[in-house]
Amino acid sequence: MPDETAGDLLATALAGLALLAELGETIEDEWTYVTKLAEMGRARLRAAVPDPGARVSPATAAAIEALAGEAGRIADPHRAIDWLSTFPAVAELALGGFPAGPPPRSPTAGT
Amino acid sequence: MRFQDAARDARAVVYAGIQADPLVARLATLAADATYGQRLMARAVMNGESTDPATWRTIFPTVLGPDAPDLGRAEAILAAGLEVAERGEQVRSQFRGAFVESLAQVLVARRAGGAAVRRERRVLFDGVAAEIHPYDLTVETAGREEAWDCKWGARGINADVLNQLDDARRHAVGEERALRVGLIVFDMRTSCAVRLSQQTAPRTGTAVVTLETLDALAGRKAAPG
Repeated sequence: MPDETAGDLLATALAGLALLAELGETIEDEWTYVTKLAEMGRARLRAAVPDPGARVSPATAAAIEALAGEAGRIADPHRAIDWLSTFPAVAELALGGFPAGPPPRSPTAGT
Repeated sequence: MRFQDAARDARAVVYAGIQADPLVARLATLAADATYGQRLMARAVMNGESTDPATWRTIFPTVLGPDAPDLGRAEAILAAGLEVAERGEQVRSQFRGAFVESLAQVLVARRAGGAAVRRERRVLFDGVAAEIHPYDLTVETAGREEAWDCKWGARGINADVLNQLDDARRHAVGEERALRVGLIVFDMRTSCAVRLSQQTAPRTGTAVVTLETLDALAGRKAAPG
């Protein structure tokens, strides 16, 4: 663990995301939603690791390992879809990132 | 346009018991002043498999670590979230829905005033049949009326709810009134955007508030972290 790089953690996170997507895809009616969510999740994770060779703190490494472990414990496909939505944001937070996108908007218009 | 209490069927009576559970109010009060990271942690814990707090402290070092800001609130949210997670799947799902409604009520009340904010109400228009489902939250201040539907996750966004909200907005316009309508979703903005992109129902006049933008309900900017 002391020698882990950000790239190693990215690989771990991407593997966790893939597990959730694979399980979620078993809900046929949600296939399009799941695949699109997984695609956006992969992009968000990659964006959170701008330098794959960078060293990471033990706390960050432990966080990503534990997060991927939690993803691996999910057995219900519906819960996997819910997790697919949350997983990239949690990983991003552990990696030191902030919520992606523009500043919060006033609730006066559609998203 | 006028507001009316929804008649309670058997499901609503059972759900009212969940809504009245002190755990729901405790979580909502904690989450109302939480940071983005603390709210994200609440969502993860209530949706997770692990009920060991040590696992979540490891996953969220910036929220639950020894140097995290407002650690007392974060730990209280973790404890309450785990209480929800430890319930059976169906009850957990009901608690999560009731939590989002209660949180929305706390936040909207800060902007609109507590007396104006009501739960489980119908919006009636002259000559229009009442919708089957009441709105989770309404603001009934004359001239500044609002109707909101609350969802735990982006998957709750569907054609029925979008059509109901848009119909209400349009019927209000037909009576030369304004009704602000929207969805409050305790989920990520990107997931809601993906979900909405799959819908053909009208949504241009419908506000969508996500986990990242909840503070806008109270009329303030999101807390960082």
